[in-house]
Amino acid sequence: MRIDDERDLHGQLEAAFEAITPRPAPIDGAVRRGRAIRVRRRVAVAAGAAAAVAIGVFAVLSLLHQTASPAPVSPARPYTVTVQAPDPHPAPGLIASGTIDGQSWQLTAAKPGTGTPEPSEQIFTTSGPAFGGDATSRTGQALAVGPVDRPPGDSADPVFFSDISGLVLTRGPVQVQYGAVRADVTYVAVRLTNGTVLTLHPVAVYGVRAIAFAVPVGAGIVDATAYSRHGEIAAATPFNAPSGVAAFGVWLTPGQHGLTRASGRIGSGTVNGHAWSVTAYLGPWGICYQVPATGLTWAYCMPTTALDRNSGPLNSGTLSMTGDGLAVAAGHAPTSAAWVIVNQSDGTTTKVWPVTVGGQKLFVFQLRAGPDPLSWTAYDNSGHVVAWPAS
Amino acid sequence: MNARLDGEFREFMHARWPAMVRLAYGLTGDQGHAEDVAQAAFARAYASWPRVSRAGDPDAYVRQIVINQNRNRFRKHQVTERLTHSPPESGLADVAWTDATRHYDDRSVLIAALQRLGPRQRAVIVLRYWMDLTEHETAAVLNCSAGTVKSQASRALATLRQDTELVDEGFQ
Repeated sequence: MRIDDERDLHGQLEAAFEAITPRPAPIDGAVRRGRAIRVRRRVAVAAGAAAAVAIGVFAVLSLLHQTASPAPVSPARPYTVTVQAPDPHPAPGLIASGTIDGQSWQLTAAKPGTGTPEPSEQIFTTSGPAFGGDATSRTGQALAVGPVDRPPGDSADPVFFSDISGLVLTRGPVQVQYGAVRADVTYVAVRLTNGTVLTLHPVAVYGVRAIAFAVPVGAGIVDATAYSRHGEIAAATPFNAPSGVAAFGVWLTPGQHGLTRASGRIGSGTVNGHAWSVTAYLGPWGICYQVPATGLTWAYCMPTTALDRNSGPLNSGTLSMTGDGLAVAAGHAPTSAAWVIVNQSDGTTTKVWPVTVGGQKLFVFQLRAGPDPLSWTAYDNSGHVVAWPAS
Repeated sequence: MNARLDGEFREFMHARWPAMVRLAYGLTGDQGHAEDVAQAAFARAYASWPRVSRAGDPDAYVRQIVINQNRNRFRKHQVTERLTHSPPESGLADVAWTDATRHYDDRSVLIAALQRLGPRQRAVIVLRYWMDLTEHETAAVLNCSAGTVKSQASRALATLRQDTELVDEGFQ
Protein backbone atom coordinates (compact mmCIF):
# COMPACT_ATOMS: atom_id res chain seq x y z
CA MET A 1 0.00 0.00 0.00
CA ARG A 2 1.07 3.52 -0.69
CA ILE A 3 -0.12 6.71 0.89
CA ASP A 4 1.10 9.19 -1.68
CA ASP A 5 -2.22 9.01 -3.42
CA GLU A 6 -4.82 10.79 -1.31
CA ARG A 7 -7.69 8.71 -2.67
CA ASP A 8 -5.75 5.61 -1.84
CA LEU A 9 -5.27 6.92 1.69
CA HIS A 10 -9.01 7.31 1.98
CA GLY A 11 -9.46 3.67 1.02
CA GLN A 12 -6.86 2.52 3.51
CA LEU A 13 -8.39 4.55 6.31
CA GLU A 14 -11.83 3.31 5.36
CA ALA A 15 -10.64 -0.28 5.61
CA ALA A 16 -8.88 0.37 8.89
CA PHE A 17 -11.90 2.00 10.50
CA GLU A 18 -14.42 -0.44 9.07
CA ALA A 19 -12.57 -3.16 10.96
CA ILE A 20 -13.62 -1.47 14.20
CA THR A 21 -16.79 -3.09 15.48
CA PRO A 22 -18.36 -0.95 18.17
CA ARG A 23 -20.52 -2.49 20.85
CA PRO A 24 -24.26 -1.94 20.35
CA ALA A 25 -25.22 1.71 20.62
CA PRO A 26 -25.85 2.53 24.33
CA ILE A 27 -28.90 4.58 23.47
CA ASP A 28 -30.59 4.38 26.87
CA GLY A 29 -27.38 5.44 28.57
CA ALA A 30 -26.97 8.44 26.27
CA VAL A 31 -30.59 9.43 26.83
CA ARG A 32 -30.14 9.26 30.62
CA ARG A 33 -27.00 11.35 30.47
CA GLY A 34 -28.64 13.80 28.08
CA ARG A 35 -31.60 14.27 30.41
CA ALA A 36 -29.21 14.88 33.28
CA ILE A 37 -27.38 17.55 31.31
CA ARG A 38 -30.68 19.28 30.54
CA VAL A 39 -31.68 19.30 34.18
CA ARG A 40 -28.32 20.60 35.23
CA ARG A 41 -28.55 23.47 32.78
CA ARG A 42 -32.00 24.41 33.99
CA VAL A 43 -31.21 24.33 37.66
CA ALA A 44 -27.86 26.01 37.34
CA VAL A 45 -29.66 29.14 36.22
CA ALA A 46 -31.88 29.12 39.27
CA ALA A 47 -29.34 27.82 41.74
CA GLY A 48 -28.61 31.19 43.27
CA ALA A 49 -32.22 31.65 44.25
CA ALA A 50 -32.85 28.21 45.62
CA ALA A 51 -33.27 27.98 49.37
CA ALA A 52 -32.67 24.29 49.28
CA VAL A 53 -31.94 22.12 46.34
CA ALA A 54 -31.06 18.57 45.74
CA ILE A 55 -27.69 18.30 44.20
CA GLY A 56 -27.04 15.59 41.73
CA VAL A 57 -23.72 13.99 41.56
CA PHE A 58 -22.62 11.31 39.24
CA ALA A 59 -20.13 8.58 39.08
CA VAL A 60 -18.90 6.73 36.08
CA LEU A 61 -19.03 3.08 36.89
CA SER A 62 -15.52 2.39 35.74
CA LEU A 63 -14.21 4.76 38.38
CA LEU A 64 -16.18 3.36 41.26
CA HIS A 65 -13.35 1.31 42.63
CA GLN A 66 -11.60 4.49 43.69
CA THR A 67 -13.36 4.71 47.01
CA ALA A 68 -10.55 6.30 48.98
CA SER A 69 -10.79 10.03 49.54
CA PRO A 70 -8.94 11.86 46.79
CA ALA A 71 -5.79 13.54 47.93
CA PRO A 72 -5.57 17.27 47.34
CA VAL A 73 -3.65 18.14 44.20
CA SER A 74 -0.93 20.73 44.48
CA PRO A 75 1.26 22.25 41.84
CA ALA A 76 4.52 20.35 41.78
CA ARG A 77 6.57 23.49 42.19
CA PRO A 78 6.17 27.23 42.79
CA TYR A 79 4.39 29.03 40.00
CA THR A 80 3.91 32.55 38.73
CA VAL A 81 0.76 33.71 37.04
CA THR A 82 -0.31 36.97 35.49
CA VAL A 83 -3.40 38.37 33.83
CA GLN A 84 -2.85 41.19 31.38
CA ALA A 85 -4.77 44.42 31.52
CA PRO A 86 -7.24 44.67 28.64
CA ASP A 87 -5.88 46.09 25.42
CA PRO A 88 -7.64 49.31 24.40
CA HIS A 89 -8.22 47.66 21.03
CA PRO A 90 -8.61 43.99 21.84
CA ALA A 91 -8.96 41.26 19.27
CA PRO A 92 -12.60 40.33 18.62
CA GLY A 93 -13.85 37.94 21.25
CA LEU A 94 -10.79 38.17 23.48
CA ILE A 95 -11.92 37.86 27.11
CA ALA A 96 -8.58 37.66 28.86
CA SER A 97 -4.96 36.74 28.42
CA GLY A 98 -2.01 36.19 30.67
CA THR A 99 0.84 33.89 31.52
CA ILE A 100 1.56 30.84 33.63
CA ASP A 101 5.25 30.45 34.37
CA GLY A 102 5.97 32.73 31.45
CA GLN A 103 3.87 30.78 28.98
CA SER A 104 1.03 32.71 27.49
CA TRP A 105 -2.65 31.83 27.35
CA GLN A 106 -5.76 33.41 25.94
CA LEU A 107 -9.47 32.87 26.33
CA THR A 108 -11.66 33.97 23.45
CA ALA A 109 -15.34 33.65 22.66
CA ALA A 110 -16.81 33.31 19.22
CA LYS A 111 -19.83 35.33 18.22
CA PRO A 112 -22.94 33.68 19.67
CA GLY A 113 -24.58 31.35 17.22
CA THR A 114 -21.45 30.90 15.12
CA GLY A 115 -20.99 27.20 14.52
CA THR A 116 -23.53 26.27 17.18
CA PRO A 117 -27.04 24.93 16.73
CA GLU A 118 -28.47 27.38 19.20
CA PRO A 119 -28.21 31.17 18.73
CA SER A 120 -27.64 31.67 22.44
CA GLU A 121 -24.68 29.30 22.50
CA GLN A 122 -21.14 30.25 21.67
CA ILE A 123 -17.79 28.60 21.36
CA PHE A 124 -15.12 29.44 23.91
CA THR A 125 -11.54 28.73 22.98
CA THR A 126 -8.45 28.54 25.13
CA SER A 127 -5.17 28.81 23.37
CA GLY A 128 -1.50 29.43 23.94
CA PRO A 129 1.55 27.44 25.01
CA ALA A 130 0.30 27.35 28.60
CA PHE A 131 -2.28 24.81 27.46
CA GLY A 132 0.26 22.44 25.98
CA GLY A 133 -0.15 21.33 22.41
CA ASP A 134 2.14 19.55 20.06
CA ALA A 135 5.82 20.27 19.91
CA THR A 136 5.61 21.71 16.42
CA SER A 137 3.17 24.51 16.94
CA ARG A 138 3.67 25.02 20.67
CA THR A 139 0.09 26.06 20.91
CA GLY A 140 -2.65 24.24 22.65
CA GLN A 141 -6.29 24.77 22.01
CA ALA A 142 -9.43 23.64 23.72
CA LEU A 143 -13.02 24.43 23.02
CA ALA A 144 -16.19 24.48 25.01
CA VAL A 145 -19.62 25.14 23.61
CA GLY A 146 -22.06 26.71 25.97
CA PRO A 147 -24.81 29.22 26.51
CA VAL A 148 -23.97 32.86 26.91
CA ASP A 149 -23.91 32.85 30.68
CA ARG A 150 -24.58 36.04 32.50
CA PRO A 151 -25.82 36.96 35.94
CA PRO A 152 -29.60 36.77 36.17
CA GLY A 153 -31.10 40.26 36.11
CA ASP A 154 -32.05 40.12 39.76
CA SER A 155 -28.84 38.44 40.89
CA ALA A 156 -27.16 39.80 43.97
CA ASP A 157 -23.93 38.18 42.88
CA PRO A 158 -21.54 40.59 41.20
CA VAL A 159 -19.80 37.81 39.29
CA PHE A 160 -21.34 34.71 37.81
CA PHE A 161 -18.52 32.23 37.52
CA SER A 162 -19.55 29.61 35.08
CA ASP A 163 -18.41 26.23 33.95
CA ILE A 164 -19.86 26.92 30.51
CA SER A 165 -22.62 24.38 30.38
CA GLY A 166 -20.93 21.44 31.93
CA LEU A 167 -17.54 21.76 30.32
CA VAL A 168 -15.21 23.13 32.92
CA LEU A 169 -12.38 24.81 31.14
CA THR A 170 -9.81 22.70 32.81
CA ARG A 171 -7.18 21.53 30.42
CA GLY A 172 -4.47 19.31 31.65
CA PRO A 173 -2.73 21.08 34.48
CA VAL A 174 -4.46 24.42 34.01
CA GLN A 175 -7.83 25.63 35.28
CA VAL A 176 -9.58 28.56 33.68
CA GLN A 177 -12.19 30.47 35.63
CA TYR A 178 -14.55 32.50 33.51
CA GLY A 179 -17.27 34.77 34.81
CA ALA A 180 -19.79 37.26 33.53
CA VAL A 181 -20.00 40.33 35.75
CA ARG A 182 -22.69 42.79 36.70
CA ALA A 183 -22.72 46.24 35.11
CA ASP A 184 -21.49 48.01 38.23
CA VAL A 185 -18.35 45.91 38.67
CA THR A 186 -15.22 47.85 37.79
CA TYR A 187 -12.69 45.20 38.73
CA VAL A 188 -12.28 41.92 40.58
CA ALA A 189 -9.27 41.05 42.74
CA VAL A 190 -8.39 37.37 43.05
CA ARG A 191 -6.03 36.31 45.83
CA LEU A 192 -4.05 33.11 45.53
CA THR A 193 -2.50 31.14 48.36
CA ASN A 194 1.01 31.93 47.10
CA GLY A 195 0.36 35.62 47.75
CA THR A 196 -0.35 36.63 44.18
CA VAL A 197 -3.22 39.05 43.62
CA LEU A 198 -4.70 39.08 40.13
CA THR A 199 -6.61 42.19 39.14
CA LEU A 200 -9.24 41.43 36.54
CA HIS A 201 -10.89 44.16 34.53
CA PRO A 202 -14.15 43.25 32.78
CA VAL A 203 -14.13 43.22 29.01
CA ALA A 204 -17.30 43.52 26.93
CA VAL A 205 -17.49 40.57 24.58
CA TYR A 206 -20.58 40.22 22.41
CA GLY A 207 -22.81 41.97 24.90
CA VAL A 208 -21.49 40.30 28.04
CA ARG A 209 -19.04 41.91 30.47
CA ALA A 210 -16.70 39.13 31.45
CA ILE A 211 -13.51 38.34 33.31
CA ALA A 212 -11.28 35.29 33.26
CA PHE A 213 -8.07 34.02 34.73
CA ALA A 214 -6.00 30.86 34.49
CA VAL A 215 -3.93 29.21 37.19
CA PRO A 216 -2.38 25.78 37.60
CA VAL A 217 -4.64 23.05 38.86
CA GLY A 218 -4.00 22.84 42.59
CA ALA A 219 -3.21 26.52 42.96
CA GLY A 220 -5.32 27.48 45.95
CA ILE A 221 -7.60 30.47 45.48
CA VAL A 222 -8.14 32.39 48.71
CA ASP A 223 -10.97 34.59 47.52
CA ALA A 224 -12.27 36.91 44.83
CA THR A 225 -13.52 40.38 45.67
CA ALA A 226 -15.62 42.48 43.32
CA TYR A 227 -15.39 46.26 43.45
CA SER A 228 -17.49 49.05 42.03
CA ARG A 229 -16.55 52.70 41.78
CA HIS A 230 -17.86 53.06 45.30
CA GLY A 231 -15.90 50.26 46.93
CA GLU A 232 -16.26 46.60 47.71
CA ILE A 233 -19.46 44.94 46.50
CA ALA A 234 -18.99 41.39 47.69
CA ALA A 235 -16.38 38.66 48.10
CA ALA A 236 -16.45 34.94 47.42
CA THR A 237 -14.32 32.28 49.03
CA PRO A 238 -14.28 29.31 46.67
CA PHE A 239 -14.20 25.66 47.55
CA ASN A 240 -10.77 24.42 46.53
CA ALA A 241 -11.85 20.91 45.65
CA PRO A 242 -9.53 17.95 46.22
CA SER A 243 -9.29 17.74 42.45
CA GLY A 244 -7.35 21.02 42.56
CA VAL A 245 -10.06 23.03 40.82
CA ALA A 246 -11.83 25.86 42.62
CA ALA A 247 -15.61 26.14 42.68
CA PHE A 248 -17.16 29.52 43.37
CA GLY A 249 -20.49 29.60 45.17
CA VAL A 250 -21.70 32.21 47.61
CA TRP A 251 -20.84 35.92 47.35
CA LEU A 252 -20.94 37.66 50.72
CA THR A 253 -21.39 41.39 51.11
CA PRO A 254 -19.19 43.18 53.67
CA GLY A 255 -20.22 42.12 57.17
CA GLN A 256 -22.16 39.08 55.97
CA HIS A 257 -21.06 35.66 57.19
CA GLY A 258 -21.31 32.33 55.44
CA LEU A 259 -21.42 28.82 56.78
CA THR A 260 -18.77 27.66 59.21
CA ARG A 261 -16.29 25.27 57.67
CA ALA A 262 -17.12 21.64 58.30
CA SER A 263 -17.11 18.39 56.41
CA GLY A 264 -18.53 14.94 56.83
CA ARG A 265 -19.74 11.89 55.01
CA ILE A 266 -23.46 12.11 54.47
CA GLY A 267 -24.20 8.79 52.85
CA SER A 268 -22.92 5.72 51.14
CA GLY A 269 -24.20 2.67 49.38
CA THR A 270 -23.50 0.00 46.87
CA VAL A 271 -24.55 -0.22 43.25
CA ASN A 272 -23.90 -3.34 41.25
CA GLY A 273 -21.34 -4.39 43.80
CA HIS A 274 -19.49 -1.07 43.68
CA ALA A 275 -19.32 1.02 46.81
CA TRP A 276 -19.93 4.76 46.74
CA SER A 277 -20.04 7.51 49.32
CA VAL A 278 -20.69 11.23 49.33
CA THR A 279 -18.85 13.78 51.45
CA ALA A 280 -20.20 17.28 52.09
CA TYR A 281 -17.90 20.27 52.56
CA LEU A 282 -19.47 23.32 54.17
CA GLY A 283 -17.90 26.74 54.27
CA PRO A 284 -18.21 30.29 53.04
CA TRP A 285 -18.68 28.91 49.52
CA GLY A 286 -21.91 27.17 50.51
CA ILE A 287 -22.20 23.40 50.44
CA CYS A 288 -20.14 21.31 48.06
CA TYR A 289 -20.50 17.60 47.58
CA GLN A 290 -17.85 15.24 46.41
CA VAL A 291 -18.20 11.64 45.37
CA PRO A 292 -14.80 10.04 45.83
CA ALA A 293 -15.33 8.04 42.70
CA THR A 294 -15.55 11.25 40.70
CA GLY A 295 -13.49 13.40 43.01
CA LEU A 296 -10.66 13.71 40.55
CA THR A 297 -12.55 16.21 38.48
CA TRP A 298 -15.70 17.56 40.02
CA ALA A 299 -17.27 19.06 43.08
CA TYR A 300 -20.95 19.88 43.07
CA CYS A 301 -21.73 23.02 44.93
CA MET A 302 -24.85 24.67 46.18
CA PRO A 303 -24.49 28.40 46.83
CA THR A 304 -26.26 28.70 50.14
CA THR A 305 -25.50 30.40 53.42
CA ALA A 306 -27.88 28.51 55.67
CA LEU A 307 -31.35 27.11 55.74
CA ASP A 308 -32.77 29.66 58.13
CA ARG A 309 -36.22 28.20 58.44
CA ASN A 310 -37.49 25.29 60.43
CA SER A 311 -40.29 24.56 58.01
CA GLY A 312 -41.82 25.71 54.76
CA PRO A 313 -41.94 25.05 51.06
CA LEU A 314 -38.60 24.18 49.54
CA ASN A 315 -37.47 24.60 46.03
CA SER A 316 -36.24 21.23 45.04
CA GLY A 317 -34.23 20.55 41.96
CA THR A 318 -31.24 18.75 40.70
CA LEU A 319 -28.01 20.22 39.49
CA SER A 320 -26.41 17.38 37.66
CA MET A 321 -26.48 13.67 37.41
CA THR A 322 -25.29 11.40 34.76
CA GLY A 323 -23.37 8.22 34.30
CA ASP A 324 -24.43 4.73 33.42
CA GLY A 325 -23.68 3.02 36.66
CA LEU A 326 -24.65 5.38 39.41
CA ALA A 327 -26.62 8.56 39.90
CA VAL A 328 -27.20 10.01 43.34
CA ALA A 329 -28.70 13.24 44.57
CA ALA A 330 -28.05 15.17 47.75
CA GLY A 331 -30.29 17.65 49.50
CA HIS A 332 -30.39 20.19 52.30
CA ALA A 333 -33.27 19.96 54.76
CA PRO A 334 -34.45 22.13 57.67
CA THR A 335 -32.71 21.49 60.96
CA SER A 336 -35.93 20.06 62.42
CA ALA A 337 -36.08 17.30 59.80
CA ALA A 338 -35.75 13.76 61.08
CA TRP A 339 -36.37 11.93 57.84
CA VAL A 340 -37.12 12.66 54.22
CA ILE A 341 -39.41 10.87 51.81
CA VAL A 342 -38.23 11.08 48.20
CA ASN A 343 -40.62 10.39 45.34
CA GLN A 344 -38.89 9.40 42.14
CA SER A 345 -40.20 9.45 38.63
CA ASP A 346 -40.51 5.68 38.40
CA GLY A 347 -42.90 5.70 41.34
CA THR A 348 -40.23 4.64 43.82
CA THR A 349 -40.54 6.11 47.29
CA THR A 350 -37.35 6.24 49.32
CA LYS A 351 -36.97 7.13 52.97
CA VAL A 352 -33.67 8.72 53.91
CA TRP A 353 -32.29 10.10 57.17
CA PRO A 354 -30.44 13.43 57.08
CA VAL A 355 -27.01 13.71 58.64
CA THR A 356 -25.97 16.81 60.55
CA VAL A 357 -22.78 18.41 59.26
CA GLY A 358 -21.76 21.83 60.50
CA GLY A 359 -25.23 22.35 61.94
CA GLN A 360 -26.94 21.66 58.61
CA LYS A 361 -29.13 18.67 57.81
CA LEU A 362 -27.97 16.98 54.62
CA PHE A 363 -29.08 13.81 52.93
CA VAL A 364 -28.21 11.74 49.91
CA PHE A 365 -29.97 9.00 48.00
CA GLN A 366 -29.57 6.96 44.88
CA LEU A 367 -31.55 8.04 41.87
CA ARG A 368 -33.37 5.15 40.34
CA ALA A 369 -34.93 6.66 37.25
CA GLY A 370 -33.06 9.78 36.29
CA PRO A 371 -33.18 13.19 37.85
CA ASP A 372 -36.66 14.36 36.89
CA PRO A 373 -39.33 14.63 38.02
CA LEU A 374 -38.26 14.36 41.62
CA SER A 375 -39.77 15.68 44.81
CA TRP A 376 -39.13 15.20 48.49
CA THR A 377 -40.88 15.98 51.75
CA ALA A 378 -39.20 16.28 55.14
CA TYR A 379 -40.74 15.21 58.44
CA ASP A 380 -39.81 15.90 62.04
CA ASN A 381 -39.58 13.32 64.83
CA SER A 382 -43.32 13.58 65.43
CA GLY A 383 -44.12 12.82 61.84
CA HIS A 384 -45.15 16.36 61.01
CA VAL A 385 -44.26 17.70 57.62
CA VAL A 386 -41.60 20.39 57.98
CA ALA A 387 -40.59 20.91 54.35
CA TRP A 388 -42.40 20.24 51.14
CA PRO A 389 -41.89 20.97 47.46
CA ALA A 390 -42.58 24.52 46.41
CA SER A 391 -45.60 24.73 44.15
CA MET B 1 -38.92 16.00 25.09
CA ASN B 2 -41.88 14.44 23.38
CA ALA B 3 -42.03 10.87 22.18
CA ARG B 4 -41.58 11.79 18.53
CA LEU B 5 -38.33 13.68 19.17
CA ASP B 6 -37.14 11.00 21.55
CA GLY B 7 -37.73 8.35 18.89
CA GLU B 8 -36.04 10.49 16.29
CA PHE B 9 -32.95 10.80 18.47
CA ARG B 10 -32.84 7.06 19.14
CA GLU B 11 -33.06 6.36 15.44
CA PHE B 12 -30.32 8.86 14.70
CA MET B 13 -28.01 7.46 17.36
CA HIS B 14 -28.61 3.91 16.24
CA ALA B 15 -27.69 4.84 12.68
CA ARG B 16 -24.71 7.06 13.41
CA TRP B 17 -23.17 5.34 16.43
CA PRO B 18 -20.69 3.21 14.48
CA ALA B 19 -19.47 6.17 12.43
CA MET B 20 -18.97 8.37 15.48
CA VAL B 21 -17.15 5.62 17.38
CA ARG B 22 -14.88 5.15 14.37
CA LEU B 23 -14.24 8.87 14.16
CA ALA B 24 -13.38 8.94 17.87
CA TYR B 25 -11.25 5.85 17.39
CA GLY B 26 -9.34 7.57 14.63
CA LEU B 27 -8.62 10.42 17.01
CA THR B 28 -7.86 8.37 20.13
CA GLY B 29 -6.63 5.01 18.87
CA ASP B 30 -8.43 3.35 21.78
CA GLN B 31 -11.80 1.75 21.28
CA GLY B 32 -12.84 2.07 24.91
CA HIS B 33 -12.08 5.77 24.93
CA ALA B 34 -13.72 6.13 21.55
CA GLU B 35 -16.98 4.66 22.81
CA ASP B 36 -16.89 6.84 25.93
CA VAL B 37 -16.31 9.93 23.82
CA ALA B 38 -19.04 9.02 21.36
CA GLN B 39 -21.57 8.29 24.07
CA ALA B 40 -20.84 11.60 25.78
CA ALA B 41 -21.29 13.38 22.46
CA PHE B 42 -24.63 11.74 21.81
CA ALA B 43 -25.74 12.58 25.35
CA ARG B 44 -24.99 16.23 24.73
CA ALA B 45 -26.84 16.05 21.46
CA TYR B 46 -29.84 14.56 23.27
CA ALA B 47 -29.72 17.37 25.83
CA SER B 48 -30.23 19.88 23.01
CA TRP B 49 -32.02 17.60 20.59
CA PRO B 50 -35.00 19.83 19.69
CA ARG B 51 -32.62 22.56 18.61
CA VAL B 52 -30.01 20.23 17.15
CA SER B 53 -32.65 18.50 15.11
CA ARG B 54 -34.14 21.79 13.95
CA ALA B 55 -30.73 23.03 12.85
CA GLY B 56 -30.77 20.29 10.25
CA ASP B 57 -27.32 18.77 10.58
CA PRO B 58 -27.15 16.68 13.75
CA ASP B 59 -24.24 14.74 12.31
CA ALA B 60 -22.09 17.87 12.24
CA TYR B 61 -23.09 18.75 15.78
CA VAL B 62 -22.17 15.35 17.19
CA ARG B 63 -18.99 15.26 15.16
CA GLN B 64 -17.93 18.59 16.61
CA ILE B 65 -18.57 17.38 20.13
CA VAL B 66 -16.67 14.17 19.50
CA ILE B 67 -13.68 16.23 18.45
CA ASN B 68 -14.02 18.56 21.43
CA GLN B 69 -14.51 15.72 23.89
CA ASN B 70 -11.52 13.92 22.50
CA ARG B 71 -9.41 16.99 22.88
CA ASN B 72 -10.44 17.26 26.53
CA ARG B 73 -9.72 13.61 27.12
CA PHE B 74 -6.36 13.87 25.43
CA ARG B 75 -5.28 16.64 27.73
CA LYS B 76 -6.40 14.79 30.83
CA HIS B 77 -4.40 11.80 29.70
CA GLN B 78 -1.35 13.92 29.05
CA VAL B 79 -0.90 14.37 32.77
CA THR B 80 -1.82 10.88 33.88
CA GLU B 81 -0.15 8.59 31.40
CA ARG B 82 3.49 7.72 31.57
CA LEU B 83 5.68 7.04 28.59
CA THR B 84 7.90 3.99 28.73
CA HIS B 85 11.18 3.45 26.97
CA SER B 86 10.30 0.01 25.74
CA PRO B 87 6.98 -0.64 24.04
CA PRO B 88 4.94 -3.67 25.07
CA GLU B 89 5.30 -6.87 23.13
CA SER B 90 3.22 -6.96 20.01
CA GLY B 91 0.43 -9.48 20.14
CA LEU B 92 1.10 -10.27 16.49
CA ALA B 93 4.75 -11.13 16.89
CA ASP B 94 4.31 -14.87 16.68
CA VAL B 95 1.32 -14.96 14.43
CA ALA B 96 1.85 -16.80 11.19
CA TRP B 97 1.77 -14.58 8.14
CA THR B 98 -1.41 -15.15 6.26
CA ASP B 99 -3.19 -12.75 3.97
CA ALA B 100 -5.80 -12.15 6.63
CA THR B 101 -3.32 -11.30 9.34
CA ARG B 102 -1.36 -9.25 6.87
CA HIS B 103 -4.41 -7.14 6.14
CA TYR B 104 -5.19 -6.87 9.83
CA ASP B 105 -1.66 -5.77 10.51
CA ASP B 106 -1.75 -3.23 7.69
CA ARG B 107 -4.73 -1.65 9.30
CA SER B 108 -3.34 -1.64 12.80
CA VAL B 109 -0.02 -0.27 11.56
CA LEU B 110 -1.81 2.58 9.84
CA ILE B 111 -3.86 3.35 12.96
CA ALA B 112 -0.72 3.20 15.08
CA ALA B 113 1.04 5.57 12.69
CA LEU B 114 -1.87 7.98 13.02
CA GLN B 115 -1.45 7.90 16.78
CA ARG B 116 2.15 9.00 16.41
CA LEU B 117 1.00 12.23 14.76
CA GLY B 118 0.20 15.29 16.84
CA PRO B 119 -3.46 15.60 17.80
CA ARG B 120 -4.22 18.31 15.29
CA GLN B 121 -2.44 16.60 12.42
CA ARG B 122 -4.24 13.38 13.27
CA ALA B 123 -7.58 15.17 13.30
CA VAL B 124 -6.83 16.75 9.95
CA ILE B 125 -5.98 13.38 8.39
CA VAL B 126 -9.10 11.74 9.78
CA LEU B 127 -11.41 14.56 8.78
CA ARG B 128 -9.88 15.30 5.39
CA TYR B 129 -8.95 11.85 4.15
CA TRP B 130 -11.37 9.57 5.90
CA MET B 131 -14.47 11.73 6.35
CA ASP B 132 -13.76 13.54 3.07
CA LEU B 133 -14.42 16.99 4.48
CA THR B 134 -13.14 19.88 2.40
CA GLU B 135 -10.33 22.05 3.71
CA HIS B 136 -12.85 24.71 4.65
CA GLU B 137 -15.13 22.24 6.39
CA THR B 138 -12.18 20.79 8.28
CA ALA B 139 -11.05 24.27 9.24
CA ALA B 140 -14.52 25.07 10.59
CA VAL B 141 -14.59 21.90 12.66
CA LEU B 142 -11.12 22.49 14.07
CA ASN B 143 -11.65 26.22 14.49
CA CYS B 144 -8.61 27.16 12.44
CA SER B 145 -7.91 28.57 9.00
CA ALA B 146 -8.03 26.59 5.78
CA GLY B 147 -4.35 27.43 5.37
CA THR B 148 -3.58 25.75 8.66
CA VAL B 149 -5.49 22.67 7.55
CA LYS B 150 -3.50 22.61 4.33
CA SER B 151 -0.15 22.94 6.04
CA GLN B 152 -1.03 20.46 8.78
CA ALA B 153 -2.22 17.94 6.19
CA SER B 154 0.93 18.38 4.19
CA ARG B 155 3.13 17.86 7.25
CA ALA B 156 1.09 14.91 8.41
CA LEU B 157 1.32 13.19 5.05
CA ALA B 158 5.05 13.82 4.96
CA THR B 159 5.40 12.35 8.43
CA LEU B 160 3.37 9.30 7.50
CA ARG B 161 5.47 8.73 4.39
CA GLN B 162 8.59 8.80 6.51
CA ASP B 163 7.16 6.70 9.31
CA THR B 164 9.55 3.79 9.62
CA GLU B 165 6.85 1.39 10.79
CA LEU B 166 4.80 2.12 7.70
CA VAL B 167 7.81 1.84 5.45
CA ASP B 168 8.75 -1.47 7.05
CA GLU B 169 5.24 -2.74 6.42
CA GLY B 170 5.32 -1.68 2.79
CA PHE B 171 3.70 1.74 3.04
CA GLN B 172 5.53 4.51 1.26
